[in-house]
Amino acid sequence: MLLDLNDYRNDMKRCARCSICKWPPLAQMKSWRFSQNCPAISRFNFHAYSGGGRMALGLALAEGKLDETDEELSNIVYRCTACGACDSSCKYNSELEVLWPIYATRARLVGAGCFREEHGPIIESLRREDNPLMKSKSERGRWAEGLDVKDLSKGGQAEVIYHAGCLYSFDPELSKVARETVTLLRSAGVEVGIRGAQESCCGSMAFQLGFQGEFIKFAESNIDDWNALGAKKVVTSCACGFGIMKAVYPLLGKKMKFEVVHISQYLDELIREGKLRLSKKIPLRVTYHDPCNLGRKSEEYVPWKGTEKKVLGQLIVREPEKTVHRGWEGVYDPPRDVIRAVPGIKFVEMERIREYAWCCGAGGGVKTTMDDFALWTAGERIAEAQSVGAEAIVTACSWCERNLKDAAAAQGKKMQVLDIVELVKQAR
Amino acid sequence: MALAKDIYQQLEAVVGPENISGSSAVLWSYMYQPFGNIKGVWAEIMPEAVLLPKSTEEVVAVAKICNRHHIVFKAMSTGWGIHNLPGVKGAIVLDLRRMNRILEIDEKNMFAVVEPSVICMQLQVETLRKGLNCHIIGAGSNTSVLASATSVVGYGPDGLSMGFSGRNLLGVEWVLPTGEVLKLGSLGSGDGWFCGDGPGPSLRGILRGWEGAWGGLGVITKCAVKLFHWNGPAELEMKNAQPNYTIKEPLKYFRASLFNFPSLEKLGEAAYKLGESEVGYFISRLSPAFVGLQMAGGMNFVRLWESGMPQQMLKYAFLFVIFANSEGEFAYQQKVLEKILEETGGEASPLAETEEMQGLTATSVIKVDAVTRSCFRSAGGFNTSFGAMDTIDMAMNQVRAGTVLKNQYIQKGVLMEDGGDNSATLVFDQGHLAYTEVLLMYDNHDEKSTAGAMAYLADSNQACLKQALGTPIFQLSQVGTGKHGLFSPACFHYDKWQKEIKKAFDPNNTGDPTAYTEPEHKK
Ligand SMILES: Cc1cc2nc3c(=O)[nH]c(=O)nc-3n(C[C@H](O)[C@H](O)[C@H](O)COP(=O)(O)OP(=O)(O)OC[C@H]3O[C@@H](n4cnc5c(N)ncnc54)[C@H](O)[C@@H]3O)c2cc1C
Ligand code: SF4
Ligand code: SF4
Repeated sequence: MLLDLNDYRNDMKRCARCSICKWPPLAQMKSWRFSQNCPAISRFNFHAYSGGGRMALGLALAEGKLDETDEELSNIVYRCTACGACDSSCKYNSELEVLWPIYATRARLVGAGCFREEHGPIIESLRREDNPLMKSKSERGRWAEGLDVKDLSKGGQAEVIYHAGCLYSFDPELSKVARETVTLLRSAGVEVGIRGAQESCCGSMAFQLGFQGEFIKFAESNIDDWNALGAKKVVTSCACGFGIMKAVYPLLGKKMKFEVVHISQYLDELIREGKLRLSKKIPLRVTYHDPCNLGRKSEEYVPWKGTEKKVLGQLIVREPEKTVHRGWEGVYDPPRDVIRAVPGIKFVEMERIREYAWCCGAGGGVKTTMDDFALWTAGERIAEAQSVGAEAIVTACSWCERNLKDAAAAQGKKMQVLDIVELVKQAR
Repeated sequence: MALAKDIYQQLEAVVGPENISGSSAVLWSYMYQPFGNIKGVWAEIMPEAVLLPKSTEEVVAVAKICNRHHIVFKAMSTGWGIHNLPGVKGAIVLDLRRMNRILEIDEKNMFAVVEPSVICMQLQVETLRKGLNCHIIGAGSNTSVLASATSVVGYGPDGLSMGFSGRNLLGVEWVLPTGEVLKLGSLGSGDGWFCGDGPGPSLRGILRGWEGAWGGLGVITKCAVKLFHWNGPAELEMKNAQPNYTIKEPLKYFRASLFNFPSLEKLGEAAYKLGESEVGYFISRLSPAFVGLQMAGGMNFVRLWESGMPQQMLKYAFLFVIFANSEGEFAYQQKVLEKILEETGGEASPLAETEEMQGLTATSVIKVDAVTRSCFRSAGGFNTSFGAMDTIDMAMNQVRAGTVLKNQYIQKGVLMEDGGDNSATLVFDQGHLAYTEVLLMYDNHDEKSTAGAMAYLADSNQACLKQALGTPIFQLSQVGTGKHGLFSPACFHYDKWQKEIKKAFDPNNTGDPTAYTEPEHKK
């Protein structure tokens, strides 16, 4: 199993309770208004909702002080977008894992059979339909109807496979991004194939909700399929898919004969190589929202396995030394470079960016099961974008896009939300 | 003993159902408090409920309910340390997280008005834009501005230029344990926040005395703190330099230097002289282990320590920072410094001279953002000993006594080996005051190590008594009655006065007395 709460006991019991996980890295704070980093503690306020509070709950659970059946525990555990901002902030000063104990706590509840009613249909849909959206799998490939693209579900192989992801496949408003992606790649001379009706979920939702058995099934079958299809590159425009494929898939120990690439990286590469030329002026003041899964959560996770020993009396050291994932190695510059390559555009940064970006609110199953919390969180991001005078938020994730669009509409805010692919398409 | 349903409902009616919880999940998250715990990481007594009031009115209403029903309550701002939890059964916690506004920054009169959970970094980023800066305690910019100004200690390494939290306190709005609202200083006479001592009641001594009431005297809901001139840019842009964030552009008229002295005496002499000359932004005597732990963790620290380099280079060293307003002032301060070094035999260490170290030091002395790494990541458990605020000479005596005593426990293998002298000495008020802490790192999940650390702390108290080294301000295993019982007889029975205050201001003893004092009638 990937997630065992006991693996994180030492992290949980060494939390300093300093509350640094409630803020962006302190030196990066820029104003009072946008000084929070954790949607959960910002919205619900009890310490339990913060990264540190979750460490305490995980430890209490592991030590038997709390019971998996505790209803309030379950509420707290799932009122969290699993965005990992707490983890990045904590690691500025420590080497503790914070996000993985959060995942492992969920897996512990699920393992004890204590999953939430609202998760039932999602998991059922994953099992039956290969997507968490309660959509029929037979409709999965429809987004590509009429496109001149190799559909690998009908046979054949491809070196570059485009993985649209669930939301881009099924959301009628967003599926145009998948179409535009294929068109752009084709126009840049990339021989791309898709899996059409045979594409399935990356498993991210199952993983985030703590259903690790389900996740492993999806991940393994995706790796097998891509290997069998001769893929050298799996390109996705779904940041959630990208994050999980980069950070978690390698832990399964299966050989991945392909490289995982996010569309923003690919577009950046194609623009640099002159294979995609952007010539139309877009006189728009835009900002960029870093999706958590493309940024801090896309660093390959290397779980620490080893022994601790004491030297210099009571100093605790690890053997081997631990790889510390601070989230600094995420994909941050390629999308920004793509935006900057658009003629006439005015690019402005928000206050909370890169490894300390504020989450859009959709992650960790929150959008699907607690839309009000998701929309509140997105509203905070839109306010931040407005504070720097942006007319549009560009992003690179279907879930971020959906949630930011919904929040702007629900809250009557004048803010365009654009996928990076859409922006490039408009600039062609 | 759970709160009676009707009482819970009364409290709920005040703060709203979203802002009160008695659920075990929420309560266990508050029970986790490693800092100051004498054993492990969990508190022993679980509060009955946690409330999240939003306003003074709500705090008043809660206090009145508590008085009616004899329920003990305790406030927390960021809640870092076991002293934030009530030490009696049947009590409730007021987590002031929702009282988080900066109410005013008065540029002309150089003060800010804050609510309890505004942290130092939030205030600093807002004040820098207005050409002002705020004092940040040594615990870091993740702590509450108000808590250290009104309720607990308040020293910080910028003390040389920005004083001590208790002295920077101006007008105060205070909800007494009875639920009455008292306004201190100029606020009490309706003249605004600008002064802590009138016109209006000057009760800072009652409110916090020297070290604060640790949440035992009601709830402070707003306060004003003094701000200081800031001559740097309105925003400090950072760059990533794994694993640190450091200031991107070098600051004008800024220079951090690490000086070595031939002895502790000479170091002390230099600190006095620097204080009297009124130069400098920051001064701290830093021991080799303290610097080493800031720079490295885990095996990197071991390698550094075993190389003997910090011990050799920083035996009697202090970090001194000049941050001047103009070229002329910078040159003047530099000249004064050179003269003092000449007189005291101080020599600059090349360690601080690189551009990288200047950037790192600038970030850490201005932002105070990297404290937990040197305290908690080594062994998990962290505490502090000695530390009466007194003269520089006294501080040096504390360092000597602490080193000897701590080395005995290091020999026993119960504390982390740090040369015994893992200390920081800060100087305030033009050198008239100094503060030293002798830090100890131990494994708080190892019974032997924890018991050893506690035995060391008890011995360090005895050393303070026997060698007349003053009352440790901040010894968390010994705050409240235990500490007073030990030190009061040797110090004019000071706790008699505390008990009188407690009795007068809290007749029903509803403010949690644990970390402060019991009223006399309970003796
Ligand atoms: C690593 C470390 C280093 C430290 N170094 C320093 C240092 O250099 N200088 C220093 O001064 N202190 C230092 N401390 C102590 C520090 O001041 C306290 O730990 C403090 O608790 C920090 O958090 P806070 O300021 O947010 O206050 P909190 O933790 O929220 O509260 C501190 C105390 O004040 C009470 N309190 C808080 N808010 C209110 C309120 N509104 N009304 C009434 N009572 C209230 C609480 O009950 C508690 O007893 C250090 C602590 C740690 C852990
Ligand atoms: S999780 Fe990390 S940042 Fe948060 S309280 Fe614990 S040690 Fe501090
Ligand atoms: S993962 Fe995100 S929402 Fe969850 S506790 Fe951490 S910062 Fe908060």
